[in-house]
Amino acid sequence: MERGLYIAASGMLAEQVRQDLIAHDLANASTAGYKPDRVASKSFGDMLLSDTSSGRTVGPLGLGTQIDRQVTDLSSGPLRDTGEPLDFAVEGQGFFSVQSPKGVRYTRDGQFAASARGTLVTAAGDDVLGPNGAPIRIGADGKVTPTDIGVVTLNNARREGDNLFTGTAGGAAPSTVRVGTLEGSGVDPVTTMVDMISSLRAFEAGQRVITTIDSTLQKAANQVGGI
Amino acid sequence: MLEGLKAAATGMTAQQERMDALSNDIANVNTTGYKHERVAFGDLVSSSPGRGGVQTVRAGAGVAAVSAGRGTLQGSLRATDQPLDVAIEGDGYLQVKLPDGRTGLTRDGALRADSRGRLTTASGALLQPPVTLPQGMAAADLKINPDGTLFNGNAPIGRMTLVSVAAPSQLNDAGNGVYTTNAASGPPRVAGTGTQLHQGALEASNVDVADAMVDLMDAQRSFQMASQAVKTQDQMLSIANGLKQ
Repeated sequence: MERGLYIAASGMLAEQVRQDLIAHDLANASTAGYKPDRVASKSFGDMLLSDTSSGRTVGPLGLGTQIDRQVTDLSSGPLRDTGEPLDFAVEGQGFFSVQSPKGVRYTRDGQFAASARGTLVTAAGDDVLGPNGAPIRIGADGKVTPTDIGVVTLNNARREGDNLFTGTAGGAAPSTVRVGTLEGSGVDPVTTMVDMISSLRAFEAGQRVITTIDSTLQKAANQVGGI
Repeated sequence: MLEGLKAAATGMTAQQERMDALSNDIANVNTTGYKHERVAFGDLVSSSPGRGGVQTVRAGAGVAAVSAGRGTLQGSLRATDQPLDVAIEGDGYLQVKLPDGRTGLTRDGALRADSRGRLTTASGALLQPPVTLPQGMAAADLKINPDGTLFNGNAPIGRMTLVSVAAPSQLNDAGNGVYTTNAASGPPRVAGTGTQLHQGALEASNVDVADAMVDLMDAQRSFQMASQAVKTQDQMLSIANGLKQ
C-alpha cells in the first residue's frame, strides 16, 4: 500500500511522545532540582528503491521516524534563597546521595527535613548520606554543617521518579553545598512552550500529509477508469 | 497520548495545592505563632512511551505535591507589655492539654489565667504540666524568666516547660495553632538551652507577604502553563480525530 501513509503516521506518533515529555516538563516547572529532558528523533533505515522493469536504481527512501534518544539536561538550575536551616543546594555539578528502600539513589532536590531518629532525610523519609555513606546526624542546634553532606558525580544518570536518579557514582564532586538555598526547576518556560507549539504544528502537518495521500487514493479508487 | 494529558493535569493539581497553602499563609499573616506551610514537589515515576519511541525513552507521568511541614524561621517578636504574654525564641513549643485529653504543642503564647488561677492558652487549653498563680496575686507582679521559671515578686511559683520534637515537619496540625506528636515526629522532649521565653511579647506570624505574593504569582503562571499543555494535548487529539474525513 502507500508507504507515505505509514511514514507520516510514524512522524505523528513521534510528536506524541515529544508532547508527552513536554507536558511532563511543564508539570514540573516548580519541582526543586528537576532536570528537563531533551529528545532526539532518528529516521528508520533508508530503503533503496529500484525500477522493477529496468532494474535501475531510483534512490533511497526514508521509512519514517521514531524518538530514539532521551538526554536529561543536567545543567544547574537557578538557586533560590529560602533561609530554612535544612534546605541545601549543590552549587555546580554533582548529586546528593540518598538511601532509598530500593538502594542508593541520587538527587539534586535538597529540601530535607529532620527524622524522629535525628537524621537528615528527604521529603519521602529516606536518609541523606554523608561522604562516608553513613546517615547524617542533625546537631543539637537543629543544623547540619554543609560539608557533612556527601556530593558525588554521577554517570549514566537516569530518572527514577520522586526527584531521584539512578546511575554509576564516581568520586566526590568538587562542588560546594549551600545551606538555606534550594535549586529551582531546570525547566525553561519559554523554550518549552515554543517546543510545544512547534511539535503541535509538526503533528498537524503529519495529519495533512495523511489526508492528502488519502484523497489521492480516493481519486485512484473512484476516478481512474471512469468515463 | 493520554499519558501526556494526565501528566499536564497533575501539574495543574499540584500548583492548585501550592496556591491553597499560600492562601492559607496569607490569611494567617497576623496569627500569633503561625508558621508558613511548605509544599514540596516530586516528579512521578516514568512510563514507557508507546509506539512513537524506542523502549529506552521514558515519558514521565507528571508531578505530585506533598506537604513538607512548616517553615522554621523565627517570627518577629512584638512587644505587648502584657505580663501573661510569652514569646518563644528558638526551636520549641509550650505543652498544653487539649479539651479531649490529648497533649498538644503550640507557639502561641497569649496566655491567660482561668477562674482558678491556672494558666491556659487563648483557646482554653491548660498548660502541661499545669502552672497555677497563687490566689489574690496581681498579674502585674508575675515575672517570667527566659528559662520559664515564674516568680511572684521574688518568690518562685512554678515553671513552664518548653519542649521540642526531633522531626517538627511530621507534627499533626490540630487547629488553633496547636500540633500533636506522632510516631514519625518523635515524642516531646525538653527543649535545648538555646530556646528562651520572652515575657510581655508575642511571636508574630513568620509569613513574609512579599515572598508569599511572589510565590502565588509563580504558582499561577505555572498553573497556566500546565493548562496550556492540557489544551495542546486536546488539540492533538482533535487533529488525530480529523484524520478520517
